[in-house]
Amino acid sequence: MAFIILIVDDSPAMRRVVRRVVDLSGVEVGRYLEAGDGREALNVLHAEHVDLIVTDINMPIMDGEQLLLAVRSDAALAEIPVLVVSTDQSAARVQDMMALGASGYISKPFMPAALSEQMYRLLGGAPDAGF
Amino acid sequence: MQASDLITVVPECCAEVLESMYFTSVLEASSHFTPLPVSQADLLAFGLRFRGVVHGSFGLSIGAAMARSLAANFLGEEEDTLSEVEVAEVVGELTNMLCGSIVSRIEGTTKFALSHPEPLVREPESLDILTSKLETDSGILQVWIAIDPPLASLDNVVDESLQAAH
Repeated sequence: MAFIILIVDDSPAMRRVVRRVVDLSGVEVGRYLEAGDGREALNVLHAEHVDLIVTDINMPIMDGEQLLLAVRSDAALAEIPVLVVSTDQSAARVQDMMALGASGYISKPFMPAALSEQMYRLLGGAPDAGF
Repeated sequence: MQASDLITVVPECCAEVLESMYFTSVLEASSHFTPLPVSQADLLAFGLRFRGVVHGSFGLSIGAAMARSLAANFLGEEEDTLSEVEVAEVVGELTNMLCGSIVSRIEGTTKFALSHPEPLVREPESLDILTSKLETDSGILQVWIAIDPPLASLDNVVDESLQAAH
């Protein structure tokens, strides 16, 4: 099964790195969708089927916490796994995001294998042994 | 945390970020409490503000050649295929990641927020500033951090905050 992954980050460079790491992980991706903030992400989510959301927290207009709240409170979107990738490594932030319904949390900087493992955990399957 | 701890925290955090996501090793680091010049023609300089238990600003300056090298490493592309915009985007993300790593160490367990990294055209106005010069295998990177109010007030502020939280 080829998955559709929505990457939400205000940094185009970071969106590109996430795409690259996922490509190298061996996860079968049918299509990447991208958004630069939470509001854009919600527009995409209301127009397209998405299997997994990978989102930053610190973003303009609508941040990752607000996006997570919106997704979890919308019956049509609530079941989509949300993986948070953020520079905030604080325990309070991780606990808050998990309590709000995040499916996983990776702090930047991260090793590519950490993202790969989370992708497989959330989408199913086994990580590529070579990664 | 004491302000003097930043002298070791800043280079340690920079080394971790550069090695894990930019595949660049820090060979030598030196830190001192003096402002950093950012307005030289061949330097890219970015800065942002952070807000948590402590507030302040963070910035970096980097030579154009090293910026291109780091961008290529980060994106997994050849240096000569990258536009100046793409290189600048990577330097912005590097600023974000370095600041997040350092502020995570300052803040301990408490949450914080970072503003969007922006290009800097002049030196920060604060004179109470810690500057670190990092010699890497890709070139020299300089970073600075300033705390509002001044760095001396950092002493014990995080510890007091944590005690209050418990």
